[in-house]
Formats: sequence, C-alpha cells, structure tokens
Amino acid sequence: LDPTPLSRALEVAPERAVAEKATPEQEFFCFRTGELQLGVPSENVREVVRAGPLTPLPRVPPFILGVAGHRGEVLPVLDLLRFLGKGEARVTSKTRLFIGTSGGYVTAVIADQILGLLRIPVSEIVPPPMGGDAASEHLLGVFRPGQKEAALSLVNFSKLLHAARQRAVSR
Amino acid sequence: VSDASPELVDILLFEVGDRVYGADATQVLRISRRSQGSADLRMLGPLKEGTRALVVKGPDGEAELPVDSVRGIRRTPVGELRRRPATAHGDPSAVGFWLDGDTPVVLIDLVRALGAQGGQ
Repeated sequence: LDPTPLSRALEVAPERAVAEKATPEQEFFCFRTGELQLGVPSENVREVVRAGPLTPLPRVPPFILGVAGHRGEVLPVLDLLRFLGKGEARVTSKTRLFIGTSGGYVTAVIADQILGLLRIPVSEIVPPPMGGDAASEHLLGVFRPGQKEAALSLVNFSKLLHAARQRAVSR
Repeated sequence: VSDASPELVDILLFEVGDRVYGADATQVLRISRRSQGSADLRMLGPLKEGTRALVVKGPDGEAELPVDSVRGIRRTPVGELRRRPATAHGDPSAVGFWLDGDTPVVLIDLVRALGAQGGQ
C-alpha cells in the first residue's frame, strides 16, 4: 500500500513537543516618576504601597524626602528624580511607594504611576548612551517597547541604593 | 528622672514648628520659659514662637534648647523603637525613631544636639 499523507507525516512527527529556542528574559517592575519611565529588576521590589504621611529628617540629602513607617519598619523614602538630577517628585494622594531591597537594605521609592511587570528579552536591552548624563551610570540599559513608545530606562537598583547610601553617609 | 524598667523608656515629646520630636526624658532637667538670647536648633526646622525651652545638662553646664511646645512624657516599650536606617544618615543627633502607630517620630539626642547648636 502506498503511504498516505497522514502516515508520511507521522513518520517525521517528533516524539514530544519541541520548545522554541529559549530567549533569556529579565523581569522588571516598571513605573513612572516625573517624566521618567523606569524599570527596576523585579527581584529588588518587595511590594507597592500608597504613600502616607512622611516624617522629615534633619540634615539628610535632598533626595531623602523623609521616612515612612510600614508594617513596623521605618523606611527612608527616596526621590529618584532628585537623586538622578531630573527634577523633584511631588507627593500627592495618588503617589505610590515601592519597597525596594538590595543586600539587606530596604528603602521606599516614590512613584507617580505604576506601569506593571514587564519581561524583557535581554538581547533587546541596549546599553545606556555613551556620554550620557550622570544618571546613566545607574542604568543597566535602555529598552524601547515600540517605535512610538517612550524608552524605558532600566535601573541598576543595587548600585543605585549603594550609591545613595554612600552619598548620605559622606555628608 | 525616669524609673522605667529596661523594657520601657520615657520619651519626652516636643514640637518644633509643625513637627513632633522625641527625646530621652532623662536628658531633660526641666522645662522652662525660653530666656532671651538662646539659639535656635535650626536643624529641627523653624520655630513658630519658641517660647518654651528644654533645659539640658551639656558638657559646659546647663543649656537651653528652644521648642514651641512640650506634649508630655510617653512611657514607650522598647519594641516600638527603631534604629535609624542605614540609608537615612542625617544629623547625628537624630538617633532613631519611635513608631507612633505607623508614623515614625524622630528621636533626638539632646546632648548631641547641643553640640551641633554650638557648632552652628
């Protein structure tokens, strides 16, 4: 008997499902502060809370807006706009804080709007522009979701938190 | 002078401008009217009227720290106190916090603050 199209197809059919070639991805927590759209590796983000009243601290760097109490912890509140020299955050009733962690240090960071979690192929992350401003030293890279969409600056949160601490201590 | 057990600390709560601060009550000898010529503790923010003063024994004897008002003394469990976070270094006289519910109240070492006042 001549083989049927089905029997020919079955002869070359795989034993099991074949996965597409794996593309390494990294997950980022994305948010907006001022005019900046930023992403922080999701492993550095513990949770997001509504910004309550902040307690100002005497003689801290301007990028520390004060401290906030959260579930029995006292957390410094970081304004990334001031830290990166991109303006000043305005705390309103819509402001959110994300609780960021790195190396045992915990801090709250001001966010105007939460954009959500985004899995980004590592191959599509381009290095920060050469000769960029001082802020680019704290970036892992830049991701452009689409031609018409604003670029997402991906923050090296561990390095940023370390630098913030160094700046605060050296005053 | 506090007779609090080690698990409880007496915190004296005072106001400078719109802000509330706390201090170890044992550092305060008395509360008085502010005398003329005593310097402001500028690091705590601007005073409204500053007609009161905390009298503290500093290295050079008694000294005044002007405040707007004194709320009183609060006997506080140690479990409600928090050290200053490593990323929130500021004035060394701000030594920690008392958590009033979820609101951190900055705790001031008044003797250190006196030193800072002298350095202003």
